[in-house]
Amino acid sequence: MAEPVEIRSRELFERLVTRAEALPILDVRNQDEFAAWRIEGRRPLRYLNVPYFGFIDEPERNAERVEREGDRWIAVCAKGDSSAFVADILRERGLHAVNLAGGMEAWGNLHVPVRVRSAADRLELWQINRYGKGCLSYLIRAAGEAIVVDASRHLDVYEQLLDENGARLVQVLDTHIHADHLSGGAELARRRGAGYYVAAGEGFDLRKDVAPPGGLTIDIRSIATPGHTPGSTCYLIDGRWLLSGDTIFVSGIGRPDLGGHVEAWARALFATLHRGVLSTLRDDVVVLPAHFASPDELDQDGVVQRRLGDIRAKSPELALSAEAAFVEAMRRAVKPPPEVYQHIIAANLSPSHVPDEKASEWELGKNQCAASAPSAARC
Amino acid sequence: MEKVLDARGLKCPMPIVKAKKELEALGPSDVLKVLATDKGSVLDMQGWAKANKHVSLIKQTTESDETGREVYVHYLSRLA
Repeated sequence: MAEPVEIRSRELFERLVTRAEALPILDVRNQDEFAAWRIEGRRPLRYLNVPYFGFIDEPERNAERVEREGDRWIAVCAKGDSSAFVADILRERGLHAVNLAGGMEAWGNLHVPVRVRSAADRLELWQINRYGKGCLSYLIRAAGEAIVVDASRHLDVYEQLLDENGARLVQVLDTHIHADHLSGGAELARRRGAGYYVAAGEGFDLRKDVAPPGGLTIDIRSIATPGHTPGSTCYLIDGRWLLSGDTIFVSGIGRPDLGGHVEAWARALFATLHRGVLSTLRDDVVVLPAHFASPDELDQDGVVQRRLGDIRAKSPELALSAEAAFVEAMRRAVKPPPEVYQHIIAANLSPSHVPDEKASEWELGKNQCAASAPSAARC
Repeated sequence: MEKVLDARGLKCPMPIVKAKKELEALGPSDVLKVLATDKGSVLDMQGWAKANKHVSLIKQTTESDETGREVYVHYLSRLA
């Protein structure tokens, strides 16, 4: 049987993440794009970056160069067409080159639902992992009712989970107005006749404030956690799982500088972390965040989760117990966000529809929502 | 002389494949104006001109065509 000439993003995920294979990656995008964002697996991968235009100018020389590095490759580009062109050239030389169908765009759009195993029997919890971008969303189901939190614009995955599990969607929540990806929350709620809620503190009056969870079988409590954004909200499920949005990640905290008011928002974040309700939660509450930065953050079941106590013990940002030192660390960690973030925020604040092509262009790349304060521990 | 290559609607690698062919037929003082709708062409043309010592990227602009599409315009010339 002939070897496959292409691999789909879901299958590549199974091999690189679920099975932790170390497949070599030939990335044919230009150097800047490769440096900014690449395919990652559970194990470190071998990469070779040879831009595709080299195969137009000097196919022989570049194919030889690839061959010297190895004879098996997954070829990757932005959308999957240039890498298909390169893979053809390599296969003609007798190499085993398999093209990633749809390229990085498909990789960034792949959503994989993972059941959170420790959830109680009467309550089912899925973490939907948009692995390439490092975005996480959630579906909670109990007694035929469901809540979705931080839905992306790719609604198929949520609708399929709802249909397969016979659940009626009652609420769609966003923990905050996202800057790195477009929310699908309002549209999902509209399609399913559910309510859509974002905290009013996010600075708009189109949508309602978070409703009290009355009438639901799911025990969900909203906790105001300003800092990453003024209206950021965490949701405590069953008193045991904290959907922490971009406030706390398993290895750090959300950056408070995306709104251009780093001092004020950093003070709010400090209060959230050290004086608010969040600080009173028990150490054994399990944090389920809206992002991860590295594949290392996935546990053995493929879930991004960690006990709050472990995060408290290991996060240098949370160890800064003096407000002034915390604010200073956040101030020094300020970095300009990707330019498209302002467009994404504006789109998420308005009900206007963004065409798919534009949305894909805006959403390219990994999220940059975490505060990176490498010097924080030394402050 | 300015020659126009309409690569609108083409996916990569085709804009560069076609531009290379056109450039080879041009004289040293001619300019090739490439119209592309793939946004990736902006960085790719820069990378190509950097990697290929016979290709010079004179300038790049963004325009809208009659259908409202964003068009990325690349002006190239051939270096001896």
